[in-house]
Amino acid sequence: MALLARSLRIVLAALLVIQPVLVETARAQEAAAQPAALPVAEEETYKPVDKDERGLWMDTEEGERQLKASQQVIRDPALNAYVRKVLCNLVGQGKCTSIRLYIVRTPDFNASMAVNGAMVVYSGLLLRTQNEAQLAAVLGHEYTHFAGHHGLRMFRQVKEKSAAAAWLAFTGIGLIASFSMAASLFSYSRDMEREADSGGLALMAAAGYDTREASKVWEQLRAEMDATAAVRNTKSRKDKNGGIFATHPPTAERVTNLAQMATANPGVAGATGLDSYSAAMGHWWPVFFDDQLKRNDLGASDYLLAALAQQGWSPWLLYARGELYRRRALGNDIADAEKFYSQGIEAGGELPELWRGRGLARLKLERPEDGKTDLNEYLRRSPDAVDKAMIAMMAGETR
Amino acid sequence: MKKRNLLLAALVLASLPAAPALAGWKLVPHAKPIAVAKGTLTVTPDADWNRWSVRPIKKGEVWTLDGTGLNEVYFVSGLIVGETLYRDADKKNRPLPTLTKGMTLTDIPEFFESSNRIALNTSLFTVTGVEPAKMGERDAVKFNYEYAVEGSPLKRRGMAIGSLSGGVLYLISYTAPATHFYEQNRAKAEAIMASAHY
Ligand SMILES: [Zn+2]
Repeated sequence: MALLARSLRIVLAALLVIQPVLVETARAQEAAAQPAALPVAEEETYKPVDKDERGLWMDTEEGERQLKASQQVIRDPALNAYVRKVLCNLVGQGKCTSIRLYIVRTPDFNASMAVNGAMVVYSGLLLRTQNEAQLAAVLGHEYTHFAGHHGLRMFRQVKEKSAAAAWLAFTGIGLIASFSMAASLFSYSRDMEREADSGGLALMAAAGYDTREASKVWEQLRAEMDATAAVRNTKSRKDKNGGIFATHPPTAERVTNLAQMATANPGVAGATGLDSYSAAMGHWWPVFFDDQLKRNDLGASDYLLAALAQQGWSPWLLYARGELYRRRALGNDIADAEKFYSQGIEAGGELPELWRGRGLARLKLERPEDGKTDLNEYLRRSPDAVDKAMIAMMAGETR
Repeated sequence: MKKRNLLLAALVLASLPAAPALAGWKLVPHAKPIAVAKGTLTVTPDADWNRWSVRPIKKGEVWTLDGTGLNEVYFVSGLIVGETLYRDADKKNRPLPTLTKGMTLTDIPEFFESSNRIALNTSLFTVTGVEPAKMGERDAVKFNYEYAVEGSPLKRRGMAIGSLSGGVLYLISYTAPATHFYEQNRAKAEAIMASAHY
């Protein structure tokens, strides 16, 4: 939604400045009198019909140009090819070729699709969907918004309501940054959300996925929000609209509706695409989790690790768990962290940071000799580490 | 826009005019020892700097040569267990990490990185080097970092020095745009760090 929201701001701001109020009111009435008649099947060839829409398209394209140049876009060809493959399976090769896909590195759960066919997938989404079917559920949902011209309809509604003032609140720091701000002001209608849920689920079924995975995406999000709240000793935000989830509240109603739809249209039972998903994410999960880990949300991070560990605690998952506890450092956390690193090493882990983490933990646990041995092992395995000088000092070596 | 930490708003958005005559900025003359951030941390700059009257936290202080968007030094003096590096502006949704008991020097770069990632709302933050150092007579850690704020093509670079005594943190960081500006004033920032003691 970032592209669209930003564009709305610019377009509407321009309208406010240039147009006297009366003219704008007249335009709004005109728009209200002529309900949108939008082509549905040929979405990728849709052309803006009036000046405002042309402005919207131009701004969206400008936004996409900025996004293209952003350091935040993950350009790894293998990861992009995989997500595109899932998307193309869903919407068909013909429609898929015109979609530009951008995977951006940011730890929030999100995906969006702009009116001009630019799709944005956050790395935080890829960390949270647990298999290919779940990813397909979200991509199908966003594609349905796009194919149904929901963004364009919202744009027209906003114009009609002259709710433009709200958009002036934007500061436009940047394309991605504006998203979280946009989210609190901008959301699809409930009807559009229902349409996107059912449309997405139909695409999933047609592509041969187990459609029960769709409701699980939102169930997992709710559970994660509970986990965050439990550790912070606050109230769970799962039933609260607003914040980053304003555009897509993970309501209990949504979970129930999706589960019912899945019963009616099950797709292929058991076809979750778990193996292909794990293979595609294997290299990236540690990176995405590291971003999550540094957000200081122990509840959610712990929840996500447990979810990733459903097929067993691999060495990197044990490492990540050790890092999580070592960084929190409350109560028995350091001792627990030491145990997790040890388990990772015993499970055959080869990541040098396993020894770094355990060495630092052991120093704090007043086991200096063991700690130094581990730190030296870390340096042996990772001689070019960015912190080699500091660790060498702690390991008691002469530099 | 959500109310954010003033320091970080400045980091991200602003290149404040730093003429000492303007309200909010006060000249810090060179070659005179000065206590910073309302604590015992004392430095002797080798150039004239400008101090911001706004304190991001009670124990924090911001200096610049010619605008925080171009060069910024942040001082923290005497942070204790439970306190945050910046103002905990959105404590409910995005709480900053707090200084914890038993922290050691290697924890300082991690604490700094996590605090900045959250306050700046970015995942494009990398620590690029960590080495032992001294702050006056005391053991310290010196580290380098790079980051970009989400949606902005501008890359920033920084270096920082941190020291712990009895679990209490003293820290100085220098941040500037990576191209040109960082190198331009690095020596002046290093002079501040080299003169620091507490
Ligand atoms: Zn939606």
